[in-house]
Amino acid sequence: MKDVLDAMMRDPTPVAHSASGGNRLRTWARTMRQAWTQMVGIPDYDRYLAHHAAHHPEEPVLSRGEFFAQAIDRRYSRSGPRCC
Amino acid sequence: MNKMTAMIAWIAVAIVGAFSFASLALGRGESVSAVWLVTAALCVYFIAYRFYSKYIAERVLGLDDTRPTPAVRHNDGMDYVPTNKWVLYGHHFAAIAGAGPLVGPVLAAQMGYLPGTLWILAGVVVAGAVQDFIVLFASVRRDGKSLGEMIKMELGPVPGSLALVGVLAIMIIILAVLSLIVVKALTGSPWGLFTIAATIPIALAMGVYMRIIRPGRVGEASLFGVVLLLASIVFGRNVAADAALGPLFTLTGTQLAWALILYGAIAASLPVWLMLAPRDYLSTFLKIGTVCALAVGIYIVAPPLAMPQTTRFIDGSGPVFSGSLFPFLFITIACGAVSGFHSLISSGTTPKMVERESHMRFIGFGGMLAESFVAIMALSAACVLDPGIYFAMNAPAAVIGTTAANAAQVISGWGFTITPDMINQTAVDIGENSILSRAGGAPTLAVGMAQILAKAVGGKSMEAFWYHFAILFEALFILTAVDAGTRVGRFMIQDMLGHVYRPLGNTDYLPANVLATVLCVGAWGYFLYQGVVDPLGGINTLWQLFGVGNQMLAGIALLLCTSMLVKMKRERYIWVTVVPTAWLLITTLTAGIQKIFHSDPAIGFVALARKFSTAAAQGTVLPPAKSIAEMQRVAFNNYLDAVVCAVFVLLVLAMCWYTIAICRRALRQASPTVHEIPPLPAHGAPA
Repeated sequence: MKDVLDAMMRDPTPVAHSASGGNRLRTWARTMRQAWTQMVGIPDYDRYLAHHAAHHPEEPVLSRGEFFAQAIDRRYSRSGPRCC
Repeated sequence: MNKMTAMIAWIAVAIVGAFSFASLALGRGESVSAVWLVTAALCVYFIAYRFYSKYIAERVLGLDDTRPTPAVRHNDGMDYVPTNKWVLYGHHFAAIAGAGPLVGPVLAAQMGYLPGTLWILAGVVVAGAVQDFIVLFASVRRDGKSLGEMIKMELGPVPGSLALVGVLAIMIIILAVLSLIVVKALTGSPWGLFTIAATIPIALAMGVYMRIIRPGRVGEASLFGVVLLLASIVFGRNVAADAALGPLFTLTGTQLAWALILYGAIAASLPVWLMLAPRDYLSTFLKIGTVCALAVGIYIVAPPLAMPQTTRFIDGSGPVFSGSLFPFLFITIACGAVSGFHSLISSGTTPKMVERESHMRFIGFGGMLAESFVAIMALSAACVLDPGIYFAMNAPAAVIGTTAANAAQVISGWGFTITPDMINQTAVDIGENSILSRAGGAPTLAVGMAQILAKAVGGKSMEAFWYHFAILFEALFILTAVDAGTRVGRFMIQDMLGHVYRPLGNTDYLPANVLATVLCVGAWGYFLYQGVVDPLGGINTLWQLFGVGNQMLAGIALLLCTSMLVKMKRERYIWVTVVPTAWLLITTLTAGIQKIFHSDPAIGFVALARKFSTAAAQGTVLPPAKSIAEMQRVAFNNYLDAVVCAVFVLLVLAMCWYTIAICRRALRQASPTVHEIPPLPAHGAPA
């Protein structure tokens, strides 16, 4: 189980983690939260911010609400059918 | 781990697996613990994953981490996101695992636990996991294209369109059969209906919370939702006992069918964030939680398997479904062994999120092993039940009658001794009025789960809670599937209508939307209604129709994989896909043709239709029909089922023909002719 969590901690793309660092419990809670949202098919907002800052800093950034609204619409608008 | 220790560990896994199988297969006379069944399955999964999937990944497909995946290539932070492989595994599993792996094995348990177990394990290793893995690979190498698009690319436009028609037909049947399962589980069950109905306001509240009150806080909303859901199960007992509310939630089968049809039409027209998405999160939560709880429960309780290894019903005379072991076992257990639907998921959102090619082995192959594990647990739960109870719950009323006394007499006559008191007591234990003829898998599994979980937590007094928890767990993702499936079906219908008359294809045009929704709901609603009023039970017919369609879709997906391997000039390895394709074609074509033409009216659609129409013409009413009009309806519906079945058979034969032609052409070429994205380094992507 531990290496599962470790693997989850190692994000494929660097996320702008809060500068304070936080204690391990907080990091763990955040990891679980991020894992859960991604598991149900919503991309991570923090990662979107990081991506946006790195690649399109000149464009306006979506708020959390807008980002979530768009993500959810795209996830279900024409995505494949659910299984049996 | 050094090589020596690894080898010893794998030998140990093999020995444990072999020992478990020996216990299952040789334990004569005395009952065998379900732990052996689950352990045998786990050992097979570990060995298959370690060796066979590695072989496919390295030799057959040649996964290459230097090739950028679509997620890396198009990383946009939204649709295309390189995702941690454990998270993506969870996402993929949640998308592929639905009610299918729970229903098929429960129905197949009428033949005993051994045939189902062997097919689930052999099927998943040789066919199911291979299909999911290779389709995922194909999609990743084609920028995340869908199955239909890939068939168009590799096999041509005609097969592409044919496949779409097939997918739509299967969708309609699966939506009907899933709804039918819900109807069978909730008929005359106020407690169950109340909890399911409660999910609607709970989902709406979650949707508003995530959209307006605390935008994007999925985790918080999911937690609140689950708490409310558990509260609704507890409270449901009071509602059912209430003099005023109880009758309000006690509906007949036809009332429930209409309610579901109406629900499907409305739910699919609401914005996705309001109900579909929040309910999907709840169901994912419950799905993962319950599967883990059940696995732990089986190991803690170690319940003995009450069902024999094989029963006399392998000869095809079973009350749950008719038809002999070959070919009908192989279409009854679809999901869990191999499911064509997965090829749509593996070419849906998952390929757009794969970070590295090597991850696909874990996500594609490993994800399917997890679904298979769910099927094994469902089978265990059904076989833990007393066989008498199992048959009382799954045989249609036409066979066992409508009273406990009658049912006990018929079932005891089959050699499964049961008393009316045992049947009544089981109903009392789970807080229901009756358990008779609740076919469809969900209630049976729920009773099995309730008995296992109650032994682990809470004892006898908790059985009713666990039963309704299990019903809720299944109904929740069935309703999500009805909602999502109706949307996808509507989309496909609009796409097709657009070719006939362009404005009908416009998804922003409201009348076109309404028309497509009505057509889609009407189509599955028709089959649902037919199943509900069918005196022979409905599941009997519809589940097999679904099985044939679903396995044929798997055959089509594997044909695509085969043609792709040939075009990659990897024809040396095509046995990896040809063997499962051949098996699927043999079983499904045999089953499809038997379902149409078999002379036994219990199996063949045409024979049954003819029997009823001839009798109707002579003016005699055959039981269980009650009038000439009812007889004519039975005849018409069976002709219709025969046509649907024939469409599946012809479709797969056409696909087969196209694939062979394409493969022969590719074999003559000296170099690869496959349509992959060339392995260029990604520009602008992080190294």
